[in-house]
Amino acid sequence: MRGLQLPLSQTQRIRLQRALEKLQSLSCKANSDASVTVADTIPVNYEDAFLKGHGTTDLNGDLVATLCGVVERINKLVYVRALRARYKPEVGDIVVGRVVEVSQKRWRLEINFSLDAILMLSSMNMPDGIQRRRTALDELNMRCIFEENDVVCAEVRNFQHDGSLQLQARSQKYGKLEKGQLLIVDPYLVKKSKQHFHHLEQFGIDLILGRNGFIWVGEHVEARDSMVVDQANSSEQSRVPEEKNQTHTPLEMRQNICRIANAVRVLSTLGFSIDADLILETVELSSTVKIDIHDMLGSEFHVLVAEREPERRSLMGKRKR
Amino acid sequence: MVGLSVGEKHFIQGGIAQDLRSDGRKRLTYRPIYVETGVIPQAHGSARVRLGATDVIASVKAELGKPSALQPDKGNIAIYVDCSPTAAPMFEVGRGGEELSTELSVALQRCLLGGKSGAGAGIDPTSLVVVEGKVCWDLYIDGLVISSDGNLLDALAAAIKAALSNTGIPKVDVAADATSDEQPEVNISDEEFLQFDTSGIPVIVTLTKVGRHYIVDATSEEESQMSSAVSISVNRKGHICGLMKRGGVGLDPSIILDMISVAKHVSEQLINKLDSEIAAAEASEEES
Repeated sequence: MRGLQLPLSQTQRIRLQRALEKLQSLSCKANSDASVTVADTIPVNYEDAFLKGHGTTDLNGDLVATLCGVVERINKLVYVRALRARYKPEVGDIVVGRVVEVSQKRWRLEINFSLDAILMLSSMNMPDGIQRRRTALDELNMRCIFEENDVVCAEVRNFQHDGSLQLQARSQKYGKLEKGQLLIVDPYLVKKSKQHFHHLEQFGIDLILGRNGFIWVGEHVEARDSMVVDQANSSEQSRVPEEKNQTHTPLEMRQNICRIANAVRVLSTLGFSIDADLILETVELSSTVKIDIHDMLGSEFHVLVAEREPERRSLMGKRKR
Repeated sequence: MVGLSVGEKHFIQGGIAQDLRSDGRKRLTYRPIYVETGVIPQAHGSARVRLGATDVIASVKAELGKPSALQPDKGNIAIYVDCSPTAAPMFEVGRGGEELSTELSVALQRCLLGGKSGAGAGIDPTSLVVVEGKVCWDLYIDGLVISSDGNLLDALAAAIKAALSNTGIPKVDVAADATSDEQPEVNISDEEFLQFDTSGIPVIVTLTKVGRHYIVDATSEEESQMSSAVSISVNRKGHICGLMKRGGVGLDPSIILDMISVAKHVSEQLINKLDSEIAAAEASEEES
C-alpha cells in the first residue's frame, strides 16, 4: 500500500495495520497466486499452445512477467493486467471529461487517457431537440452548447482506427455538468457496474462515477429540460451572471455535497474500490460518529473507515451465500 | 493549471460565501500540516512540510565566510526558493517558473530577514558571528517546491522554521593567538552542535480574497478565483514582520487592517500547531 501521507499517531498506525491485514486475509485466496511482479515466472503448461499477451516476455524459454499485476487467462491468451494502469476505455463506458478544445464539428475532451477523446457535433443532441442535419450555423454556435473547460458526461461510442476515442452524448442524462465539484481519483478504483449515475434521493444529489476516475458530485438536475430551449434564449441567459449569483446552492445541500466528496477522497487515499454503496456507508459512518466535515480528511476517520471495511466485506460475503 | 468551468467556479465562490469550502473547511481553517525533519542528511538542517497536496522541502547549509565590512558583527543569510518543474508544467524553465521563484524568495527574505540593516529580523544574525569582523557563518536556506496545490508561501515559511529548528551549527574553536590582520585559525568540531533559537521566527499567513470574503490556505482552484491576496508575517508576540500584497484588484485600506487583525488571530493557532508538529517530527526522527 502506498505510504499514507497522513500524520498517524502510534496507536492509529497499529490499528490501520491490523485492519489492512484483516482485509488481506479476507480477499480471495485463490487469486493470491495469480499476482506477479516483474521478472516472476508465470505458471503455464508449456505443452499447450498459448499466446503471449501484454506484460509478458519470453526469457530463456520461460514466460516471465514484465509488469506488476495479475495474470489473466482468456482461452489461449495469457497476459498480465497491471493494477494501477492508466484508464483503459471500453465501448459503452460512462466517462466524465473536460472540454479542452472546440474545433470543426467536434469537441475535444480530456479524460485521463493517453489521447484526448472526441465528441462529434453529430453525436450530441441539439438544444431544440429536433433530429436534423447539422448545418453550418450549428457549427458556428457550438460554443453555446459546450465551451472550453466545461465538464461533460458522455458514453464511449467506439475507437477510431488511430487509437483515439469517440464519445456520444445522445441521451438526456448526458451533457454538461454544473453546480458541483469534480473529483479525480485513480481509474482502477472505479469498477464497471450496472449503474454509474446515482441519484441520491435523501440528499437530492447526483453522483456520477466516471470509469476514467473523474467523479462528479453535484446538485440534482432534472433530465435536461433546460436543453429544450430556444438557442437565442440560452445565449442570453449565459450573459447574465447576476441571476446566477442569487441562486447559490443551499447550505444543507452544500454540506451533503462536501460530505460525499470527502468520503470519496478518503476512500481514494485508502485505495478502496469506489461504488455508491460504500460512499453512502462512509457518509453514514461520519454522521454517526458526529465528525466535522473537514475532520473527515483527518487521520482518525481514515483509520475508522479502514477498520470498518473488513467487517463490511465479511458481511457481504455471508449475504451472498 | 487545469481550467475550471463556469459552474465549478460558481460553486467555489458560493462555498466561500457560505463558509463551507469544497473540502468542508471553514474560511479560516488550515489543511492538516504534516512536518518531517532531517530529510536531507548532508545538510545541517532540513524539513519537509505537506499542506494538503502542497509539498515543499527546506534545507539549511552553513559555511564559514567573512562578514561584510558594513556589519562586522552579523553573519550572512541567503534565502532562495526553486520551483521544481515536476510540480507543475508552468514551472518549466522559460515559462514563468523563475518569476514565481524570485517572487517567493523576495517575500521570504522580507519576512524573515528584516531590513537592510538587519533590524527586526526573525533570525538573529548576531548569533552567527564567530570572530567579529573576520569569520562568520554564512547560512544558505534553500526551498524546493515539489508539488503545488496553493498556498506556497505559508508552506515554505513553515518549512524554513522547521528546518531551522532542526539545524545544528558546528561548534567552532578559534585559535587564541591570532593577530589582528591575519585570518584566525578555526577548528570546526564534528561532534558538538549549537541549536538555533527559533522561537522568534515568524510564520506567514496568506489571506486570499474571493468575492467579499477572505480565506486562509487556499487550494490552487480557490487561488484561481482570487481577486487579491495579502500575505502577513506574524511572530509569536503578535508583531507583524512583513506584509505583501499580490493580485491586481485594489483594496480599501480598512480591508487591509481587517485582514491584519484576522491574520494575527489565525497565526496564534498556526504557531502553536506548527510548534507541536515540529516537536513531534523531531521526536520521531530521534527514534528512527
